[in-house]
Amino acid sequence: MSNRTFLKALRKNGNALAGAAGVGIILCLGLFAPLIAPFPAGYTIEVLQPPSTSHFFGTDKLGLDVFAQIIWGARTSLQVSLIAVAVSGFIGIPLGLVSGYFNGKAGAAIDLAIEVFLTLPVLALMIVAAAALGASITAVAVLIGLFAWPSLARVCRNTTLKVSQTSYIEAAKCSGLPVASILFKHILANIIGPVIVNLTMAMAGAILSESGLSFLGLGDPATWSWGLILKKAWEAGAVLASPNPWWWWLFPSLFIMIYVVSFNLLGNGINDALNPKGQ
Amino acid sequence: MARFVFERAIRGAITVFVSLAATFAIIRLMPSNPAQLLVDPLLGPEAVQAMAERLGLSDPIWIQFGKYIMELARGDFGFSFRTGQPVGPTLFSKLGWTLLLLIFVQGVSVGLGVPVGMMAAIKQNRLFDKASNTAVILGVSVFVPFLAFALLYLFSYKLKLFPTGGAFTPPMKHGIAFALDVAWHAVLPTMALAAGNTASIVLYTRNSTIDILKEDYIRTAYAKGWHQGYIMRRHALKNTMIPTTTVISLNIGNMMGGAIMTETVFSWPGVGRLIYDSVSKQDYPMLQGAFLVLSITVVCLSVITDLAIMAMDPRITH
Repeated sequence: MSNRTFLKALRKNGNALAGAAGVGIILCLGLFAPLIAPFPAGYTIEVLQPPSTSHFFGTDKLGLDVFAQIIWGARTSLQVSLIAVAVSGFIGIPLGLVSGYFNGKAGAAIDLAIEVFLTLPVLALMIVAAAALGASITAVAVLIGLFAWPSLARVCRNTTLKVSQTSYIEAAKCSGLPVASILFKHILANIIGPVIVNLTMAMAGAILSESGLSFLGLGDPATWSWGLILKKAWEAGAVLASPNPWWWWLFPSLFIMIYVVSFNLLGNGINDALNPKGQ
Repeated sequence: MARFVFERAIRGAITVFVSLAATFAIIRLMPSNPAQLLVDPLLGPEAVQAMAERLGLSDPIWIQFGKYIMELARGDFGFSFRTGQPVGPTLFSKLGWTLLLLIFVQGVSVGLGVPVGMMAAIKQNRLFDKASNTAVILGVSVFVPFLAFALLYLFSYKLKLFPTGGAFTPPMKHGIAFALDVAWHAVLPTMALAAGNTASIVLYTRNSTIDILKEDYIRTAYAKGWHQGYIMRRHALKNTMIPTTTVISLNIGNMMGGAIMTETVFSWPGVGRLIYDSVSKQDYPMLQGAFLVLSITVVCLSVITDLAIMAMDPRITH
């Protein structure tokens, strides 16, 4: 399919557009965070103020602006998920290609590894690792990436298995091209669609993991993230307090939701645009 | 058939082995002294020294790993920093609560997810299908603590219908009264954890039912004049359940992550809440033990699920 027909199909897909819009908004918020609001630190006397024109999303127990926390959290989310997805791409794509192309013992061994890592309770393993390694944002991001590669590797393997049977790969083999060039030039180019779909959705998965780790107290306490805001709100009893500072826990949750749904919709949309018959 | 069971068991054993190797590697990869991580900081340098000797840190790495495995095999998971007691018994006393929660969740998600998924397939591209597709996207995207907060706020804080946490109201009751009390406490945690699982079951059931409805035997059944409900129950359900059960098996590990967060928010006295408490108390031996118990549980559950698939689908073993 040509790029033009693909983009046309993508533009006609309402869900994909909504996803792209959500991603775009969060990207802008994250990129321009320092211009939108100062980094929330210290404390003020305006504690637990409900949403108003001066504090769009109210303030927390220390009188810090929740909107500013969310904006800076967007920056963290983007940073973490990009690093995590890059790490899992570096591991998952080569493993998937190799295991699909050499579908003998090597392929079976890698497939077994994929299966094993898909079965493990990954969040629990990340908790154990993060507790031992200490929490910086980069460490958490790399950690998420180290455990997020199996589903990407599986997609790569399954698609490579099919592509390896085609006559143009046969031809590339016969013409004596080096294996690396067959794998990373010819096969990867032909499976790039499903890979991009998977990477897009991995952005959503990464932020669920990061928020979970931060919520459980394994994030970086000095960097604002959506999970950290929720942890602070929950530990202060905000969910059941009377009167209830609902803005403190609701808005960060909604942003996690928007982020995850947007990337999932975009991934689905790309998938539909690539496979028009699948609809 | 024996071969299939054997292969599945071997794969389970490899997964458990990888979890053991992972926790071992994580401790050894620490920039600081591994002994320091496993000894309560309050006990002082002599205890760290004793732990270093016990771990045999000067031995070759594979001997250390062998020792570690042997200790775990004897049920020795180390000592909690918080209580000074062995970790093992605490873990096993908590595991039952986690399993109970998972059973509730699995019951709800299969009981709701399969019929909704089949219905969505029958009414493909109609209103019901579209609504269920939207719910599925939201369900698979949900951040468990958010849903837990929303449920708490709505049902405990506003409507005061369900308790805010715990698994029962002390003092502990007996018999039926106790079971009812636990069930009442389990409603919100179950809802919080079941949403994501139900969504993926709906998704897979819908997609597999759409394929099955195109099969000849379904058309034949319609041609015989049977009505839809009977055909779905009698002919489609069993075939739909095969891919659905595969998803259930794959989701168990993922669900454990959700269980950690659900149990944390609702103070459910299981292994997940224990993990949260151990993180905040920096109780590393407890944390490590909890992970191992969870991953062994996941492996057992997914082996059982796979054997269930085998029983449903004899084609697999051929």
